[in-house]
Amino acid sequence: MDTLAHLASGFAAALSPAYLAYAFAGCVMGTLIGVLPGLGPAAGTAILIPLTFKLDATGAIIMLAAIYYGAMYGGTITSVLINVPGEAASVITCLDGHQMAKQGRAGTALGIAAIGSFIGGLVATLALALIAPPLARFALKFGPPEFFALMLFGLCLVSGLAGRSLAGAGLMTALGLLISMIGIDPVRGAPRFAFGIADLYDGLGLVPVVMGLFGVAEILITAEQPLREVVRARLERLLPSRDEWRRAWGAIWRGTGIGFALGLVPGIGAIVPTFVAYVAEKRLSKTPEEFGRGAIEGVAAPETANNAYANAAMVPFLTLGIPSSPTIAVLMGAFIINGLTPGPFLFQERPDLVWAVIASFFVGNAILLVLNLPLVGLWAKILHVPFRYLAVGVLLFCLVGAYSLQQSVFDVWVMIASGMFGYLLRKLGLPLAPLLLGLILGPAIEKSLRTSLEMSGGDFTIFVTRPLCLGLLIAAAAVLAGAALKLAPRELRAA
Amino acid sequence: MSLQSASHRVVERAVLVCLSAVFAAAAGIAYTYSLKDDLGPGAGFFPFWLAVIGGVLALFLLAQSWRGRNIGDDGEAQWPDRPGAFRAAALLAGLILSALLLEPAGFRITAFFVTGALLVALGVRRPVVIAAFALVASFGLFHVFYHWLKVPLPVGPFGL
Amino acid sequence: MNSLLKHVAVALAVAAGAGAALAQEFPTRPVELMVAFPPGGSTDIGARVVAAIAEKQLGQPMVVVNKGGAGGQVGWTDMARRKPDGYFIGYLNLPATNTVILDPERKAIFGPDAFVPIINQILDPGLIWVRADSPYKSLKDLVEAARKSPNTIRTATTGILSDDHLAILMLEEAAPGAVFRVVHLEGSAAQLKEVMAGNIDVAFDNVGAVAPRVRSGEIRALAVLDPERSKFVPDVPATKELGYPTVVSNSTRGIAGPKGMPAPVVAKLAAVLKKAMEDPDHVAKMEAAGLAVKIMVGAEYERYYRETHEKAKKYVEWARSRQQR
Repeated sequence: MDTLAHLASGFAAALSPAYLAYAFAGCVMGTLIGVLPGLGPAAGTAILIPLTFKLDATGAIIMLAAIYYGAMYGGTITSVLINVPGEAASVITCLDGHQMAKQGRAGTALGIAAIGSFIGGLVATLALALIAPPLARFALKFGPPEFFALMLFGLCLVSGLAGRSLAGAGLMTALGLLISMIGIDPVRGAPRFAFGIADLYDGLGLVPVVMGLFGVAEILITAEQPLREVVRARLERLLPSRDEWRRAWGAIWRGTGIGFALGLVPGIGAIVPTFVAYVAEKRLSKTPEEFGRGAIEGVAAPETANNAYANAAMVPFLTLGIPSSPTIAVLMGAFIINGLTPGPFLFQERPDLVWAVIASFFVGNAILLVLNLPLVGLWAKILHVPFRYLAVGVLLFCLVGAYSLQQSVFDVWVMIASGMFGYLLRKLGLPLAPLLLGLILGPAIEKSLRTSLEMSGGDFTIFVTRPLCLGLLIAAAAVLAGAALKLAPRELRAA
Repeated sequence: MSLQSASHRVVERAVLVCLSAVFAAAAGIAYTYSLKDDLGPGAGFFPFWLAVIGGVLALFLLAQSWRGRNIGDDGEAQWPDRPGAFRAAALLAGLILSALLLEPAGFRITAFFVTGALLVALGVRRPVVIAAFALVASFGLFHVFYHWLKVPLPVGPFGL
Repeated sequence: MNSLLKHVAVALAVAAGAGAALAQEFPTRPVELMVAFPPGGSTDIGARVVAAIAEKQLGQPMVVVNKGGAGGQVGWTDMARRKPDGYFIGYLNLPATNTVILDPERKAIFGPDAFVPIINQILDPGLIWVRADSPYKSLKDLVEAARKSPNTIRTATTGILSDDHLAILMLEEAAPGAVFRVVHLEGSAAQLKEVMAGNIDVAFDNVGAVAPRVRSGEIRALAVLDPERSKFVPDVPATKELGYPTVVSNSTRGIAGPKGMPAPVVAKLAAVLKKAMEDPDHVAKMEAAGLAVKIMVGAEYERYYRETHEKAKKYVEWARSRQQR
């Protein structure tokens, strides 16, 4: 009951006109930052830190947090409309979201994303408010060995993303993993596959690669079609049909669960929950072949997971002071600069601040819904701009986005090369998603393996003596075996 | 019935051959980073085995392609017609040109000319529209990023 | 020292009057201040605070530019290649910058002479800490345990060849027989998590990263790796008073430019930045974050840079030859 009293006073503070205004401003700015490519939530939030020097601590944090999850939604808008993820975490939404847009259902896609995000965020924040401490303790159980096993499990899910050819998906995964190894390795701390080019020492950036593989390639492929046919269906359906609602509903709740569970594990990164939710949905669906062609669950699941993750990641942050992602690290910087240290002691010393912030998460999620739902129709109209102008605009958008990451032309070249490669892959029918998965998970898998071995002094039994780790490894093996049994016979018969 | 045309097969096989070569090279390079280390896998361990697996898969798919099987989904397998190819090539060339000119010429000049050129290449004929669009795309974007977002975009000669 | 003197002499000789005029004009457009790490870290925050204050005096915007990656190597490589006209300066993080140069496997394209040190901002001493309920109540406990069971105590750093890594080696050198099982994590947040989870026994980090948690009792600090105690954690003994005067390790954040910058420009930047760093608002914000402002300008900073480089050399070589790095 104490918690509810705290929450009530938190709401009273969060709904005060000043804080409400900050939350609103944060949501608006966050959405804009998410829409603008390259400016990921981390960079955008960091730019705005000096702005918050002028506000009091609580106000500053409310605004920054609003920017954070506002940006999550902003990234969705560009993913759906132009197949360019505004920030890397939204890339899975491109798979079905953009297809829906091409079918004239952009409004539906954006709408379901907004609703799903709201529900996911709400449930996550509720859990945060009510049962944060035990959740945090659970989060702590994920040490490097468990992390390794979890990432391996995620990798095995790639079989769920395979199109017609498991070998093709495997090839793309191997390629993605290999490319991810460009850069400094976790063993010697020395560059691999860099050939002396300093820009490669950190590997190929994920954002330029994704912008190229998805955004640029899409523009190139669309440009080839006769311009007449590129006109989008004029009739924009803004609301999902009955049938779509039904399917999306289940996806939303499953996405919430998955996003929330993974959000508790520090260091996972926003893309992994979206992948897992997407693949899980595809597996459970009675019509898996629709995924990648505009299935509404393919948007509802990752979008909900995304937002549930973002809000759940606040649990280890607020209760233990552990930032789960670079963006939250920036948020932590804001705390620290204001003389506050997130963690258990902050809950005791400044409950007014902590609970006001938690309450503002509820408020922020609601603001996002109210802000974005009506605008969905407006956003969708962008697709009616004639392709000639849209294409040039999008490419410019990508150019600035790639450059502005680190003020580097190299990133632009990476994007261009990825665009050409993505174009080729699409022509050949090879799947992009496994490539992406390998690219994202590669470093995490290798680093966590290495750290685990450093911890155990070279002893491999650490992976089987820890129960959670062992469980995850068995799950990974099961997923792989299941996929092999299902698809391999077909594969070998065809060969 | 296979939807793939002969030229498609050629490209398919060429890409697979290239990929196989890349994997082979990667395996070779990875081997020089030690495969083993005092604690376990060395810096070359994962890249080596991934390159081997990737190479095997690439060769497998090559064999399939040779025997006329489809290796991928055929959603977008058609090759474009002349005007289509021109448009795609123009857009790509525009991007490449921008990357080349960005730092020497500065963002505004690069964006202005490339935008204008691309619009013409895509078939826009009204000079006023082209100029306006190019202006907003170059100077407008610059202003937003440089002054509002404090993200520096390259400045070229004449301070442009 | 020699190269800097040479540069100064040449610059002065070439155009005494012109040089002064250049400094008068400079800057005529925004100045970029590079941070070799992603946004949000303590270097980045320090940079943004300084830039916001300095640009008022400079008359032109000072824009913080993040070029993270490879532990800072990407950013420093970029800076080493820039035109030394004063419009691009950036942060050096010592000893990280030094170890990148010294580790041959990193293949750094820049050497210690590639930069002109301008002014130092922060000096953050090293700190050893454990969980509040850890069996190690003092540095003595820790060292004895490390002697009794060598290579079992899981000791975390914030990165390979970071100042924390070198500090562990310094301690092993000063306490022969003590061997720690070194685990490289990425950053202070990871250390906090793994220590809390019980996966790590002791962490080497810096005062700034954990001062508030030490004060609140959330974690227990065993020693500050400095001749004197830190005012942010006054109850924590310093290594000197504990009998390990050679174990002195810290992380400094200072601003430098590519070599060849004209001396008047360097002097002007140093003056502007010094004023900004002495600003009470800046000091207050840094102290709130637990970061000690230690301004070193010109020759003093250059000397410190060289000394750190020499010291790091020894430990980098040792680290590379050690079994568990």
